[in-house]
Amino acid sequence: MYHMKAMIAAAVIGAACWSAPLRAETPPNMLVVGFSMNNILTLDPAAITGKETVQVLANIYDNLVSLDPVNRSEVTPQLAESWVVSDDKSKITFTLRDGATFASGNPVTSEDVVWSLKRLMSLNLAQASFLKTHGFTADNAEASFTAPDVKTVVITLPKKVDPELIIMTLGIVGPGSIYDSKTVLENEKDGDKGAAWLTTHSAGSGPFVLGEWRSNERVVLDRNDKYWGDKPAMRRIIMRHLAESQSQRLMLEKGDIDIAFSMSAADLKSLEANKDVKIETIGGSGFYYLAVSMKDEKFKNPKVREALRYLIDYQGLDKTVLPYFGKLRDRPIPSGIFGALPEAGYKLDVEKAKALLAEAGYPNGFSTTLRGISDAPFLNLATALQATLAQAGIKAEVITGSGDQIYGAMRERKFELLVGRGGGGQLPHPDSNLRAIAYNPNNSDEAKLTNFQGWRTSFFDEKLNSMIDAAQVEGDKTAQTKLYGDIQGYYADLVPAIQPFSEVVDTVGVRADIKGLALNPSWSTQLRTVTKER
Amino acid sequence: MSHDRIFAAARQAGTIMVTLLGLLILTFCIGRLMPVDPVRAIVGEEADRATYELVAERLGVNLPLHTQFIRYVGDVVRGDFGVSIRTGQPVISDIAHVMPATIELATFAILCGAGFGIPLGIFAAINRNRPADHIIRFLTLIGHSMPIFWTGMIGLIIFYAVLGLVGGGGRISDYYIGLVPETTGFMLIDAAIAGDWEVFGDALNHLILPASILGYSSMAYITRMTRSFMLDQLGQEYITTARVKGLSKGRTIWHHAFANIRVQLVTIVALAYGSLLEGAVLIETVFSWPGFGQYITNNMLIGDMNAVMTCVLLVGVIFIALNLLSDALYKIFDPRTR
Repeated sequence: MYHMKAMIAAAVIGAACWSAPLRAETPPNMLVVGFSMNNILTLDPAAITGKETVQVLANIYDNLVSLDPVNRSEVTPQLAESWVVSDDKSKITFTLRDGATFASGNPVTSEDVVWSLKRLMSLNLAQASFLKTHGFTADNAEASFTAPDVKTVVITLPKKVDPELIIMTLGIVGPGSIYDSKTVLENEKDGDKGAAWLTTHSAGSGPFVLGEWRSNERVVLDRNDKYWGDKPAMRRIIMRHLAESQSQRLMLEKGDIDIAFSMSAADLKSLEANKDVKIETIGGSGFYYLAVSMKDEKFKNPKVREALRYLIDYQGLDKTVLPYFGKLRDRPIPSGIFGALPEAGYKLDVEKAKALLAEAGYPNGFSTTLRGISDAPFLNLATALQATLAQAGIKAEVITGSGDQIYGAMRERKFELLVGRGGGGQLPHPDSNLRAIAYNPNNSDEAKLTNFQGWRTSFFDEKLNSMIDAAQVEGDKTAQTKLYGDIQGYYADLVPAIQPFSEVVDTVGVRADIKGLALNPSWSTQLRTVTKER
Repeated sequence: MSHDRIFAAARQAGTIMVTLLGLLILTFCIGRLMPVDPVRAIVGEEADRATYELVAERLGVNLPLHTQFIRYVGDVVRGDFGVSIRTGQPVISDIAHVMPATIELATFAILCGAGFGIPLGIFAAINRNRPADHIIRFLTLIGHSMPIFWTGMIGLIIFYAVLGLVGGGGRISDYYIGLVPETTGFMLIDAAIAGDWEVFGDALNHLILPASILGYSSMAYITRMTRSFMLDQLGQEYITTARVKGLSKGRTIWHHAFANIRVQLVTIVALAYGSLLEGAVLIETVFSWPGFGQYITNNMLIGDMNAVMTCVLLVGVIFIALNLLSDALYKIFDPRTR
């Protein structure tokens, strides 16, 4: 009996103490990427909503065209080798490249492209909004997307719109992703156009295929050996759900992950001194902004809004709260996009703000609420803004909550002040930002145009709407650039409901021996060119 | 079986059904009152009204609350727990995947917690107010009061980042993913079945730290309770009588005092195990452990009611099962309850 007890005890202690040798780095032909995957709810490109999903699908699906990672306004061929816009700018004709195949081995044909676009419109899910904005609907999809032959796709624009915008839209993950229609239809269930199957499977022609998706655990991408382009060096990409920034940092330092996509400012800063890790920043999409509801009597007054403009510490926020997250910008079009004007140069000026408030009838300020998501950097932004508002007598009670609570109140038009992030930018075209942040075609409550932040803030100016519409359809690039300059000037004069103070950037930690990584804005980095120098 | 026993069993089954139904009603009401919008989670911020309405109709969230509830309960009775919004998979298959991860973690933790906690509690009680007692009480106070996510992070920094003794986040290193077929979902068991001891070692390396930290927290609670139960017994007259009659100290403690606290210990260990099975969401988040706690929390945050309701039902069933198990053990340890 004694011996048996001793043996059991030895076995338990042995098992507890024994450990297999731990590797210090990831294998040379496997890339491990870490980020929080809380927002990944599906891997069907037509239904996605978050940038995290874009990062996965950018490596699985090809588009007709792609957007250059550095100069985003430049459109380059992908499945289409060329395209032509008709003289009257009502049609775009794409010619597909030879030899492109899907991962299934099926050739990429014009029928697949047309089927993908019609599917997008008929399902009418999240990504359809990019084309619906320009007049495409499920009803006109049959006439809008046609395939005269196996290599040609013709897109007929349902209304007058800058064709460049449509071409760019076809270059982003989601609305422009091309499916292998035969494979999807083989897996169709109850006429769902493969929606259920595509949630956890892939049918693309990109360099990788979806091997496995475990929600909030990992996504495994396997190399597509039938890929039509240059073969990726990595046999496998593992994307790990690492919700905690510190876990990402520790694993990046140890070499257990190669790239970390969603670290906090504190962790990024601590990695700056680590020679084994590089910190890279790339443009994102949208702005950090202070929004007011013009349903509120106080904020309907332009003098009050102007006072708020001078109660934002643009430079201070840029230096203290927004490193790694944003870059100072006070215009509604991001820097680097054609037509973008230089900064207006607003500065914190409490005296000027006080004078404006006095003119508006609020010499002693007023009490209000300021909403912000309870995550970084919003909480810090709200606290900083609360402090500067207080200097002019505006007592803002900070209300924090989840995205649903904060933006939900904005969608219901039931808020006063809100510090948020948004304003389009998925497309490298000024129209993308202006339509999201300033345009409001119908200001009535009943319209419920919650997809327009102009509507959410009850900001309505008919002339501004007309200017945005006119600039979008202007055929001459020089004239169009000037029109966008005029819009920014007019927008500033109006003292809008949404005042941007920073444009979004994304910062990534990468092991120093990772080569060939061309980070793409808005989390659409293609990882096929990545190699490891080990 | 006598009529009385049949009647008692039927009454117990009825109580269980009513408890579970009450739990479902409460969860449903809380879920629907929470300011989360599952439709918005699916369609995103930029979607227009038409897309929103389309998805709301598909999910059935625009139906009256009682209709939604009756429809859900009807499906559950037919064995259909629905599909999760977050994963697009049947909730049952999701739970079948996350539950083994949690059971593995919780079982290892409770073995540590009870295995160390009970002897330490007894030892502290015997040595009341001596240095050993003070040290044990201090250690358990720390274990009980330190935030577990903080302990987890410090543990990761020391044992993973600095000393390199254990694995980092997740259940297994990336280069072992897919090497062992998923037979039971328990990583250690699957690796043992496959005879792949390298994977087994790696899985153990990943399990040992989060389980030990959870186990430390459970141990702190179990030690303090055991000490308290033992002190209560050691102050009883029958212990003094036994010692006066010449029974050795060891026999008095083991055969008399400890025998009388076994029933209470079963209850607290069962409750501690139930809490661990319910999900240690913080430790799961810090260690990127794909378990039940993270699953229920993340689904709650987007209003994925099919998943949340099924999870709550499961938690209810776990606690009921543990209570029944405790009752059964009472009968073994306490003849008066037979």
